[in-house]
Amino acid sequence: MRRYETIFILRPSQGEDEVTTIIENTKKIILDEKGSIITLSRWGLKKLAYTIKKESLGQYIFCDFAGTPAAVAEIERKFRIDDAVLKYLTIKTVDAISDEEIQKAITEAATKLAANRENSDDDDNDFVEEDILEDQEVDVVDEE
Amino acid sequence: MAPRPQKKLFTRKKVCRFCADKEAVIDYKDVKTLRNFVSERGKIIPRRIVGTCATHQRQLCEAIKQARHIALLPYSGAAQG
Repeated sequence: MRRYETIFILRPSQGEDEVTTIIENTKKIILDEKGSIITLSRWGLKKLAYTIKKESLGQYIFCDFAGTPAAVAEIERKFRIDDAVLKYLTIKTVDAISDEEIQKAITEAATKLAANRENSDDDDNDFVEEDILEDQEVDVVDEE
Repeated sequence: MAPRPQKKLFTRKKVCRFCADKEAVIDYKDVKTLRNFVSERGKIIPRRIVGTCATHQRQLCEAIKQARHIALLPYSGAAQG
């Protein structure tokens, strides 16, 4: 097993259901190859540093997982076919990872997430996200 | 004959930021830190100016390129400029 990080960008027009199905498909590929997911988080709508396929916004999804090279190849093949995926990046972070290390990483990630939530109240988080979204909407209008 | 003007009058010893702060890790996802090491045009600032050590400059360079690939940093120009 190796540990990988994958980030992929989806078109901003993709609905909640479509995004979920893409994530589920990705998860399934990893699990089918006997890998395990350490963290999977959505960064939400972010402004891209440059336009990709004429889109200036993108939905970022980040996945940290342990898997085999075959799983990565399959995921990337699927991404290349899928029109909704603007861009993807997979990086190998650890060359060899044992089952215990995977479990440790999973619990670590979970505690980190919980700590983050405690530090900033859920309400606050929502507010920030809304703010960012509003800014982006304004920008889009300006460009038009 | 007038003495040659001293060149190194106001230079300060530059210290690698990542060697000084052992906690700091170079991560391509951490755009805020990486922004300090690219110019306004988006170019990577050379080592002789920012003063990072060779090891960390190499890691930094890699991280910036990865961030560029996934559109967190621009290849050229300001973000969407």
